[in-house]
Amino acid sequence: MEADDADFSGRSPILRDPYYPSPNYTSSFSQAHGIACNTSEKKPRIAPTCYSPPDPAMYALGSFLILLPVTLAAHLTISIPASPPVLPNPASLPASTHATLLGPPGVYLDTPLTRRNTFEFSNLTVGSHLLQVYARDYAFSPYRVDVSLAATEDGDTERRGTARIEQELIQVWQTFRGNEWSNLGPKIVEGTDSVTVEIGPVGRKEFYIQRGGFNVLGMLKSPMILLGLFSVVLIFGMPYLMENMDPETKAEFEEMQKKSPLTGSQGAAAQIQNFDLASWMAGKSAETESSSGTQ
Amino acid sequence: MRASNRANAHIMLSTLLTAASLFLVPALAVFADEAWNVDYHFALLGAPKEETSFFHQPNPSSRASLIYTLSEQHALGAVNPRDGSLVWRQLLSSDGVAYRTSFLRAGEGQDVVISGIGHEVAAWSAADGRLVWTLSTDGPLEDVEILELSDGKETAGAKDAVALSSGANPTVQRIDGASGAVKWQFNIDGSDAPYQLSASSTQIFAILLHKTILGYVKLRVVVLDPVTGHKVDEYSLNSENELSTTENIVSVGANSASPMIAWTDSLYTTLKVNVVGTKSIQSFDIAAHDDSPIEHVKVHAPYHVNSLSHFLVHYQTAASHWADVFHINLKNGKVEKAYSLPKLAGRGAFSTSTSDANVYFTRVTRDEITTVSSASHGVLGRWSLNTFGVAAGIGEQVEPIHAASEVSVKGDTVSAIRTTILLSTGDWVMLRDGKGIWNRPEMLASTMVVTFALPADAATLVQQLEVEAHSNPVAAYIHRVQRHLSDLQRLPSIIVSLPQQIVKGFLGTSADDLTASDTFGFRQIIVCATRGGRLVALDAGSPDKIVWNVNVADLQPGQSREPFLASRIAGVVEVSSRAGAGIQYNATNGQPLAERLPVVPEGPQVPSSQVVLYTMHDGTLEASFNRTPAWAFTPMHGERIIDMVPRPVNDPVASIGKVLGDRRVLYKYLDSNIALLVTAQDSMGTANVYVLSTVSGAIIYSNVHTGVDLTIPIASIMSENWFAYSFTNEASDEASKGHQLVVGELFESLVPDDRGMMGATTNFSGMQTATEPFALTQTYQIPEVISKLAVTRTRQGITSRQLLAVLPDSNGIVGIPYGAVDPRRPVNRDPTKDEQAEGLVRYTAVLEFDPKWFLNHQREIVGVKNVFTSPALIESTSLVFAYGLDIFGTRLSPSFSFDILGKDFNKLQMLATVAALAVATFIVAPLVMRKQVDQRWRFL
Repeated sequence: MEADDADFSGRSPILRDPYYPSPNYTSSFSQAHGIACNTSEKKPRIAPTCYSPPDPAMYALGSFLILLPVTLAAHLTISIPASPPVLPNPASLPASTHATLLGPPGVYLDTPLTRRNTFEFSNLTVGSHLLQVYARDYAFSPYRVDVSLAATEDGDTERRGTARIEQELIQVWQTFRGNEWSNLGPKIVEGTDSVTVEIGPVGRKEFYIQRGGFNVLGMLKSPMILLGLFSVVLIFGMPYLMENMDPETKAEFEEMQKKSPLTGSQGAAAQIQNFDLASWMAGKSAETESSSGTQ
Repeated sequence: MRASNRANAHIMLSTLLTAASLFLVPALAVFADEAWNVDYHFALLGAPKEETSFFHQPNPSSRASLIYTLSEQHALGAVNPRDGSLVWRQLLSSDGVAYRTSFLRAGEGQDVVISGIGHEVAAWSAADGRLVWTLSTDGPLEDVEILELSDGKETAGAKDAVALSSGANPTVQRIDGASGAVKWQFNIDGSDAPYQLSASSTQIFAILLHKTILGYVKLRVVVLDPVTGHKVDEYSLNSENELSTTENIVSVGANSASPMIAWTDSLYTTLKVNVVGTKSIQSFDIAAHDDSPIEHVKVHAPYHVNSLSHFLVHYQTAASHWADVFHINLKNGKVEKAYSLPKLAGRGAFSTSTSDANVYFTRVTRDEITTVSSASHGVLGRWSLNTFGVAAGIGEQVEPIHAASEVSVKGDTVSAIRTTILLSTGDWVMLRDGKGIWNRPEMLASTMVVTFALPADAATLVQQLEVEAHSNPVAAYIHRVQRHLSDLQRLPSIIVSLPQQIVKGFLGTSADDLTASDTFGFRQIIVCATRGGRLVALDAGSPDKIVWNVNVADLQPGQSREPFLASRIAGVVEVSSRAGAGIQYNATNGQPLAERLPVVPEGPQVPSSQVVLYTMHDGTLEASFNRTPAWAFTPMHGERIIDMVPRPVNDPVASIGKVLGDRRVLYKYLDSNIALLVTAQDSMGTANVYVLSTVSGAIIYSNVHTGVDLTIPIASIMSENWFAYSFTNEASDEASKGHQLVVGELFESLVPDDRGMMGATTNFSGMQTATEPFALTQTYQIPEVISKLAVTRTRQGITSRQLLAVLPDSNGIVGIPYGAVDPRRPVNRDPTKDEQAEGLVRYTAVLEFDPKWFLNHQREIVGVKNVFTSPALIESTSLVFAYGLDIFGTRLSPSFSFDILGKDFNKLQMLATVAALAVATFIVAPLVMRKQVDQRWRFL
């Protein structure tokens, strides 16, 4: 029982609830009450499909269930409203849409969507539950549902086991994965016995990624293509420009080209272009070659 | 997971970090253009049951009907009769609990169908499958009926249902059809077992079975008033000395103008009929038509209060079948035999359809469909069947098992008929006027094991190449020349198909060319062994049709088997079961190869590795090494073994180390004989995880988790040098309430470039040196339950692995890239430059499943029990096949398709570019030439 006790000394307000028997009480009565608790436990009523626990496990889980008085009244209704940008029409949700309520160990309820766009959970056990809604195309955030016995006026908690019927307090919080369980999110709703809560999807699931296809505009925007196009324009456009120039400017331009160190027959560009590797390797300069040629 | 008290800030941070990590992890996802082409899916229901399969109009104002069924796998669904597609489906029992009986009823003109299974009565919207109401009974349900009260005023509202439940307090309940509230409840006194309900238009009859001292069964009928629920009358039928078991009760009619009970003696010599509400029993002799004894007798009666009170009795022997039609005289309750339908060979299936008050019986045999009216034996329509159009074994006669029909009658002839038939091959087919419309391979819903095999033609080449490699050079040369000469015979056909192939090659993409040849290994044969004793083969390359389907085991009803499937030799599938010898089949055509294999030893087996064989014995795991006991793992008191996953036998690893960002190496702990063992301690609510060395039995890693919900599946997997498992835990100091995924990786040492204890040794034995690996583990909180884990497999193990998780709540399979769950993700700090180079991102406690990771995308895969992966011939790709209820398969490239041109490679675009360049060259060439010539002239 050591591990059990350690678990139940957690920070969750539910688990520190004064209605819980002390650990000593649990250990001394766990065997007898565990069995009694099992037999009196009704199968979860709303769940046509649920992980119904195997019998040996249930038997063994008696030590947990002793802490969870079985109640029959707590009823939770989750309704999915029309939430226009994401889900304008909840009637379009497929039949496979369902909600699960993960309770204390051994309690896992599962209920399908009804014709009224609701999920109905009835006969909730006392304890803390994780509520999740699953739809094929929509994502829902998780919620926490706590069911506890409402405090009676005289504060008498010892007589709970007798014929008295108390009201169940149902509290629904939003919860966030990755935070400790005692860290409560904003409270959505609180009520006794029967509670209705509206939960809308947080977004649509995007299953597919599109491949980057062939895009003419995108290609034209690429700097390499722009450079290439510019040089093409220069190659084809320059001769026309030259021809259409008036003779004076043309002459001036040619003069400029001759003077330019890059162009002209003695320009750097021409020299590089007409570079004679063989003669350079042979140690001959252009002058010696031309002089030898004249001899 | 330890969050600060500043909740919201932290929430935002963690959400952002999760989002960031999702962006940083290479986006492995389903591409929109591959989504519905590469993957395939059979949305199945399982074998439909005869009494829960029918045509029904979901919208009373429209004549369009759907086919409803509640199958043997407890899946309730509606099928479109036009194309066989699934309209909606609900799984009424997800955890494999087999219920003895299940019921599905639809009231005439109602927009709901009412199901009854286990303790639950539920009404479902017939058009879209939404829940209308649900009610649970104290005892298990014995029967559910819809109350068709014809008290003159036909109410427009929902019709009420009546449920009969057994258990400690057997009751009859009338349930309000609109709300599901109990209108009245009648407690049945006495110890008699409730059997069935029967309702006429004015009364409800509860039929109970009373066991007499002599062991016979006596029928007790309790008559109830439908309005008040009070007992009106009660009587017993004088069925003593005849009824020994309930199996001889042929039928208890319900919802007909005059419901009746029929039973036979155990030898099927007389048929006794009682009209419910009267005490008289009429008996009819059953004439023997052939030598074989009668196997079963079935009654087919209309299911409407307003129909004629005629019924048909179907007699089936091993060789033939025939039927008698009876009429009930409503005035005096007398039953008269009207006419007989002649004996025909083989199995027959009869179905009843109504049109106004008229009743029609449709008979389906091996080779024809005939329809007769219940009033006379004249055939109103006859359609001959050549074939049912399904794959079957060679020489196997496909027989109809049961059928449901919808007829439309004009005058004296049937103008149109639609018949759904469950065949002996397990297919559920639809015939319209005798022609096949669709075919649903429902036998695949009970797949137990699968294996992948290479097609036989591909396998022969592999074998021939092996022959050449292993013989002397001269012989190999002669062999090769001979092989090439024989290949020459195929040359003409290749030349003929060449132009077509070239065109296809230009227009299509390379990944599409699956039909021509299978260079990539995508066209593997997937062989499934079903619970019904059949082997069914699919082609992973063209999965739309069944390649072959053979019966391998003649099972008696209720008999189960545990088949094993393997393909040790390429092109050959070997099936064996615990009791019998293995038989080999040709993977391409399903022909049995006449080879007998050694008998598999007795005892339940856990998947075994190469050397060590495991058996479970009294909760103890025993390992034997070369058939001698090696070690045993006995769990502690109160601990039970949940699962044991050894490293896969064929698990190639390309690199023995992990290369870090700074080019140093972290050595993996690679031992082919390790296994992950998960045990549970129910009393403590703890789950223990052990990594065992399966040679020595030593525990090389262990961990314990407290507060675990042991009723929810714990999935586990082991591959390479890492393992993963998931569980659901209660809120505690360490962890939040929810579902966790733990990933652990084993290294020889955590110091880079250091092999630790192993040092420079090249060989080591797990028996002699006890080396313990260094384990890194990390826990992630995941959004939902994982019921099964699997891992992708590629040919050489170079491609990174993807963890495949079956999500029963989302009806999907998610492929988690290993990088996203790598235990080496830095915790509480940003990754360094070197870690970034490795692709590691900062650890976040929450691992959200990106919808893009869902292999099934918008398909909904229900009831997946296992995922099988197999390498393709190319390294980048792994074939995935999921089975259970649905069948789903796809191809995965966890490191993208680096060795194949995928869909993103646009051949047309490439050709256009080449063409454009060619055109540009032709245009520019004269220009350049002219310019060069001009230049020559100018400078000289």
